[in-house]
Amino acid sequence: MNLFQLALKNISGNSFRSGVVSLCALLVAAFALTTTLLMRGAENSLRLAIDRLGADIIVVPAGSEAKIESALLMGVPARFWMPQDNVNKIAVIPGIEAVSPQLYLATLTGADCCSVSDMFMIAYDPQTDFTIQPWLNQKLGNGLRLGEVVGGSYIFATEGVQNIKVFGYLVTLKANLEPTGTGLDQSMFFTFNTAYDIAQKSATQAEEALVIPPDSISAVLVKAAPGSDLYVISAQIMRELPEVTPILSSNMFQSYRQQMTGLLKTILVIMGITLGLSVVLIGLVFSMAANERRKELGVIRALGATRRFVFQSLLMEASLLAFLGGATGIGLAVLSVYLFRKLLIVSLGFPFILPSPAVLLLQISIGLLLALFSVNLAALFPAIKISRQDPAVAMRE
Amino acid sequence: MINLIEVNKEYQLGKNSSVSAVRGVSLQISPKEFVIIVGRSGSGKTTLLNLSAGLTRPTSGKVMLDGTDLWSLSDRQQSFLRCQKIGFIFQFPSLLPTLTVHENVILPTVFGTKLITAQVSDRAKQLLQKVSLGEKLAAYPRQLSAGQQQRVVIARALMNQPEVLLADEPTSNLDEKTELEIMELFRDLHLSLGITVVMVTHTRQLVSYGTRAIEMSEGRIVNGNK
Repeated sequence: MNLFQLALKNISGNSFRSGVVSLCALLVAAFALTTTLLMRGAENSLRLAIDRLGADIIVVPAGSEAKIESALLMGVPARFWMPQDNVNKIAVIPGIEAVSPQLYLATLTGADCCSVSDMFMIAYDPQTDFTIQPWLNQKLGNGLRLGEVVGGSYIFATEGVQNIKVFGYLVTLKANLEPTGTGLDQSMFFTFNTAYDIAQKSATQAEEALVIPPDSISAVLVKAAPGSDLYVISAQIMRELPEVTPILSSNMFQSYRQQMTGLLKTILVIMGITLGLSVVLIGLVFSMAANERRKELGVIRALGATRRFVFQSLLMEASLLAFLGGATGIGLAVLSVYLFRKLLIVSLGFPFILPSPAVLLLQISIGLLLALFSVNLAALFPAIKISRQDPAVAMRE
Repeated sequence: MINLIEVNKEYQLGKNSSVSAVRGVSLQISPKEFVIIVGRSGSGKTTLLNLSAGLTRPTSGKVMLDGTDLWSLSDRQQSFLRCQKIGFIFQFPSLLPTLTVHENVILPTVFGTKLITAQVSDRAKQLLQKVSLGEKLAAYPRQLSAGQQQRVVIARALMNQPEVLLADEPTSNLDEKTELEIMELFRDLHLSLGITVVMVTHTRQLVSYGTRAIEMSEGRIVNGNK
């Protein structure tokens, strides 16, 4: 028999006390992991969305900033227009390497002519695009032809029948983009030609025609030349075109970031309180346990156990309970976040993507370490006190 | 074997008050003796036994075990010495409730033993046979009578082949019949194993089991060899 086996026996000997300590560890680990998964997941999602944009600056009509953010983050369809000529005006501004226009469209709500309701669609100009086209060239070897589309990770078509109906027009899904955890995962991308083709044919094929105002675009994506000052470029754009708003990609989703920061602060406070209360409760439980087992521990000392053995034995029990509770808490947290991630996105109002296995493992380790730390911290003082006690005094009534 | 030299033990009750449990006691216990220490409750018997085992530090004086001052040793050294040389039998039920009889008996070997791993279990079984509890290996303490529990405690105390057994009122919670059985067991162990026994009791009738009797009163030895 060794220290570990002795600790296991002691734990199983008092299931209520062990259950309380494990439960505290479960709460600490679950809360810590859920918080980091959500916050890191949201941050990663935002970063992926910005990377997906591929642009340094996105120019939209003034007053459309919130709409474009909702569209990109949450997949809420956005429709706004500005003159197509803005592309040329922006292209000549010093410091700009490339510009490319986009059209933002949406399918109908609850219409038979659309396979998916309220789906956000992005039409791009393959001649000038620098975001999707390079990826397409790499993945498919060429760009999209008329009637072909690329979907976000949630867009799928029946195996062998790659046709999705959009305003009564059948499009062929050629590929799916990697997940971002944002609304882009529920979006579709196709060329300007396909968009105009859909619009033209929807007049007779759809319940309601897709209207694209002539000579209009929704946004201009801007790629700055290396070393250019993005703020200077933005200021110049606003001077040339007062009716538009240039949004720096680094400033994109600021409102969501602020929302996340606010939520994070709240969660951290709650987590701090939970941790503090858990440590206090566990400390009380261990103090009571140590007092209850005072005689027993005195006997063990009389049989030849050192003070160090008694101390280690109590901390071993604490660690085992922390590990048990922590591992359970982590399992529940991962399962809950995975199963309810869509509900979390809707209820929290910001995007979220699950981390890679390596990152998840790191976060799990941190959650487990936090549980171990908090339980051992709580058990430390009672363990020191009881291990230093005179055995004869400990065994006295 | 055990040598107490002018040992005093005071317990602090408060800031300015203390009680003397043992006063200026000098006592020498030789190998193979069966010493019985009698006295009324509060006479300092248990404290004297605890001092002999190094379970409490004397306020003054020395406690020598085989010529070694116990309190000159580190906690680790003292614990090891206690584990190897002393077997302790307590007044109260001292078996660990979460361990089986077998596990309780082998418990001292967790802290140190001369036995190799393969011998530990066999020795435990032999000792339990000796105390007539060979069939109770897998039982838990709550499943045993008080007398049976005390037998297990005796087996545990002998696990590491100690040189001395210290027994603190081992029969106080037992009925008369069981008390006599336990005392016969002690006598048998003393004679068959040649083990030194120091037993504390408030029952004067048990004095006849020993080779020497010592009486204590108010922390002092008032009768018997010092």
